[in-house]
Amino acid sequence: MKKYFLIFALSFCWINLVKASDPAFEKAMTKQIQAMETIQTLEESQKVSNSFLRISEAQPEEWLPLYYAGLLQIESAFRFDVNQDQALEQALEYIEKAKNIAPGNSELTALEGYAVMGKISVDPANRGQSMTPEAMQLFGKAIALDKENPRAVLLMAQMELGMAQFFGSGPEKACGMARMGSDLLRKEKEKITESYILPTWGQRMASQFEKVCQQN
Amino acid sequence: MKSQLYLTALFFLIHLGAFSQTIISGKVLDEKNLPLPGVNIYIKGSYDGATSDADGSFEFETEEEGSHTLIYQLMGFKSQEFTITCDSNPIAFKDVSLREMITEMNAVTISAGAMQASDASKAVVLKPLDIVTTPSAMGDIIGAFQTLPGTSTVGNDGRLFVRGGDASEVGIYIDGLRVGNAYGSTAGNFPTRTRFNPNLFKGTFFSTGGYSAEYGQALSSALALNSKDISPRSQGDLSLLSLGGGYSHTLSSDKQSITVTGNIFDLGPYQNLIKQNIDWERGPHSWDLEMASQKKMADGSLLKVMARTESAGMKLWQKQPGQEGRGVYIDLNNRYTFAQTNWKKAYENGWTLFTGIAYSDNKDDIFYDSVNLQKNSKLIHAKFTGIKDFSDRISANSGIEYFQSDYSEGIVEANLERDYTDHQFYGFTEWDFYLSKKLVFRTGLRGGNSSLNQETWLDPRASFAYQVSENAQVSLAGGTFSQVAAENFRVLNPELKNVQSKHLILNYLYGAKGRTLRAEAFYKSYDNLVTFDGSPMAPENPINEGIGFAKGIDLFYRESRLIKNTDFWVTYSFVDSKRQFDQYSTKVQPAFAPKHNFSIVAKHGFETLQSQLGMSFSMNDGYAYTDPNQDGEMNAKTRSFQSLSLSWSYLPKPNLIIHFAVSNVLGRENVFGYQYAQTPNASGVYESLPSGQAAPRFLLLGVFLTLSKDKTANNLNNL
Repeated sequence: MKKYFLIFALSFCWINLVKASDPAFEKAMTKQIQAMETIQTLEESQKVSNSFLRISEAQPEEWLPLYYAGLLQIESAFRFDVNQDQALEQALEYIEKAKNIAPGNSELTALEGYAVMGKISVDPANRGQSMTPEAMQLFGKAIALDKENPRAVLLMAQMELGMAQFFGSGPEKACGMARMGSDLLRKEKEKITESYILPTWGQRMASQFEKVCQQN
Repeated sequence: MKSQLYLTALFFLIHLGAFSQTIISGKVLDEKNLPLPGVNIYIKGSYDGATSDADGSFEFETEEEGSHTLIYQLMGFKSQEFTITCDSNPIAFKDVSLREMITEMNAVTISAGAMQASDASKAVVLKPLDIVTTPSAMGDIIGAFQTLPGTSTVGNDGRLFVRGGDASEVGIYIDGLRVGNAYGSTAGNFPTRTRFNPNLFKGTFFSTGGYSAEYGQALSSALALNSKDISPRSQGDLSLLSLGGGYSHTLSSDKQSITVTGNIFDLGPYQNLIKQNIDWERGPHSWDLEMASQKKMADGSLLKVMARTESAGMKLWQKQPGQEGRGVYIDLNNRYTFAQTNWKKAYENGWTLFTGIAYSDNKDDIFYDSVNLQKNSKLIHAKFTGIKDFSDRISANSGIEYFQSDYSEGIVEANLERDYTDHQFYGFTEWDFYLSKKLVFRTGLRGGNSSLNQETWLDPRASFAYQVSENAQVSLAGGTFSQVAAENFRVLNPELKNVQSKHLILNYLYGAKGRTLRAEAFYKSYDNLVTFDGSPMAPENPINEGIGFAKGIDLFYRESRLIKNTDFWVTYSFVDSKRQFDQYSTKVQPAFAPKHNFSIVAKHGFETLQSQLGMSFSMNDGYAYTDPNQDGEMNAKTRSFQSLSLSWSYLPKPNLIIHFAVSNVLGRENVFGYQYAQTPNASGVYESLPSGQAAPRFLLLGVFLTLSKDKTANNLNNL
C-alpha cells in the first residue's frame, strides 16, 4: 500500500516537473522561433503562425505561442499585402487570449501597444488623435510592469519619434529613449541561452534608431 | 520487482511509439472548390500538423497512435473536425471544403438611406473627426451633417431638414434612447445648435430614410449618436473661445471613467464688437454642466450614465414689417435637463441584452412683447432590447419600449394653461437573413399604441443589399413610418392621428480605399399631415387633412487619395417636394425644401506648418415663400443661398490646438424668406422684411489645451 502511495506521489512530482519545464514544448518553440527569423513571404509567415497556434492548442496554459502568433500577425500587416485591419484585429484577439493566461505581463502589454500602433498607421489622420493615448498608455504600463523590457521602451520611442515628426520638434527625446532601449537589449542578450524562448526581438528597430539619431 | 518490469516495458513502449509514424495528407478547398491555402490542419492536443499550400494540399507526420481528432482551421472560416485512426499506415484524407463565416468584416451591409460616421475600417461616409473639422459646422454635430446628401441648409433655423421633411421629423437618439428637445431654444431667426458636444460620441449613424424598425417617432430621418466607452486616460481639457469657455475633467482607471464638464458662453461681447443684423438687447448666453460616466462591471457588461443641465437666454427686438420703431421685444429663457443610463451585455450564447432609460425636460419662458408664454415638455423613454445571433447567417433584434410625454403651455397673465400626457407602448422585431456574404435580407415590424389619440398602429419595413463587385453594392429599402403630431398641435386637438410616411429608396455605394461614391434615388409619401387655420404663431383647429410627397436623387463623392494631404467631399441633392400642411390650402413646395442643394468640403494638411486648412461651400437654388401681393401660396422664391466657410487649425504641440473659423467669408447677403405685414399699407401693398442671417459673417477663435499627468514620461525618468 505504502509503495503504491509512493509511486502515486512520485508520479505527481514528475507531472509537476514536466509542467515547469517541458522539453518538448521548449523544443517546439525554439524550432518555430528559429523559423521566424527566416520568413520572407506571407505563406512562410502563415506556416510559422499556424505552428504556434498548434502549440497553443496543445498547451493552453502557455501564453508564449499566442504571443508569437500575434507578433507574426502584426509583422505581416506591416510587411505583406494583407488586409491590415483584419490582421491587426486578429493579433489583438490572440493577445487578449494570452492576457487571460498571463495577466499583467509586460511583453503582452507592449505587444498590444504595438498592434494599436499598427492600427494608427493604417489611417493616421483619423485614428492618430484618438488612439495615440491608448498606445502610449500601453507602452507606459508595459514599462511599469517590467522596467527592463527593451521592446516596450523601443516601441514607445518609435511613437515619440512619430509625434516629434508630426509636430516638427526634434527627435532628442525619442533618441534618448531609444538609447535606453538599446542598452536594455544588450543587457538582455547576456541572458540568452540555447533554450531561451522568451521574446528577444527589437534589434532591427534599435539599429534603425541609431541611423536616425546619428544624423542629428 | 514486478512493478519495475512494468515500468521498463512502459519505457520501451513509449520509445517504440516514437518510431511508428503515420503520414497524413489531404487537400483543402473553399466553397467554390478552389484550393484554399493557409489552413491549419492538426491533430488535437498535439503539436503535429501542417499548413495547406497554394494548391490546397498538405502533408505531415505524426507519432501519435490510435483514435484522434483532426482539425481544419482558418481565420474567417468555419472549422471542421474529423476522427482518424493512426496506425503507421499513411492516411490520404478526403478533400475537405471549408465554408467562409459571414462576419461584420466581410459581409455586405444595408446602405440604403444610411450614412455612418465611425472609426471602423469599413468605407464610412464621415469620420468622427470630420464633425469638428468641417468649417461650416462650427463644432456643431448637425452642422457637419448638413454637408451630407439628403439634407438642406436652412440658415435661420439651424436644425436638420431631411428630404422635404420638417425638422421635427428627425429623431435624435443617444445610445438608442430618444432625446427630447435636442436643440437649444431660440427666437427671432437666430439659428440654433445641438445641445450635445461632439466629443461625447465615438460614432454616429445617420439615416435619411428606410431605417431599422428599432427607430420610431421619426418620419424622415434617424440620427443615432453612440457615446464613448471608458476613457483611456485621466486628463483635463481647457477650452477658451471668443464666445466663452469651459473646462472638462476626466478621471479614468481600467474599469471605469468619469468626465465632468462645465461651460459658459456669452455672445454679447462678440456681438458688440462685430455688427449684427439682429437688434440685440442681450446677446445669447448660457451655462451648462455635464457628466458622463462609464463602468465595466465584473460580469463584463458595460454601464453608462450621462446627465446634463443647462440654462440659456437672449433678449432682442424683432422689427415688424410696415411698422416704425424697434418692433416686438422678445425675452427668452430656457432651462433644460437630460439624463440617461444604459446597460449592455454580450453573452457567450449569442445574446446581447440592452436596457436603458432616458429623461428630457425642457422649459421655455418667453416674453413676447408683454405676454408671458410658458412651455414645458418632458419625455421619458425606457427601452429593453435583445439581439440574438442564431448563426452567422440569421440574427434578430427585438425590443419593447415605453414613452411618456408631458406637454403644457400657458399664458401667465391670462391664467390660461393647457396640457396633455401621453403614454406610448412599442414593440419591434427585426430579422437579418444572410443568404451569402453578398446578399442580405432584412424584415422588420414595429407596432405602437398611444393612450392620447387611442391609436394602435403597425409599421412593416424591409430592405436588402447585394454586393455586385468587390467594392460596389446596391441596396433597396422601404417601409412605413409613423409619428405622433407635433406637441403644439396635440395640445389643441388631442385626437390628432399619427402622421404617416412611406419610403422607397434605391442606393448604390462604391467604396474603395480613399474613395467613396454614393448615389441614391428615393420616393416618399406623406399622409395625415396636420393642417390648421390661422398663422403658424397661433394655429387653430388642427386636423389631419394634409398629404404630400418628396422624390429626388442624391450624389456623394469623397476622395482622399487624389491630391496629397487633401481630403474632400462633394454632395448634390435634388428634392422635388410638395405637400399640403400647416396653413396651406394647396400642395406647395415647403420653405425648408430647396430643389437643388450642393456642397463641397475640402481639407488640406500642411505638415510643415502643423496646420490644417478647411473649406466648405454650400449653395441651393433658393427658398420658396408666399408673397401676399401676388396670387397663390408659395408663389415666390428667394435668390440662391451661397456660403463659403474657411477654417484653420494649428497644432503647435500634441496637447494644444488653435482653431479659427469664418462662415460666409464673402459676406453674401443670404435671405431665407420674407416676413410680410398682416395688413396692406395705405397704397394697398403688403410691406415685407427679409429673414436673413444674424450677421454677414460669423467668426470663431478657439484655443484647446489638454492637460494630463504624463505618466509615461514619469516612468521613463525612473529608468
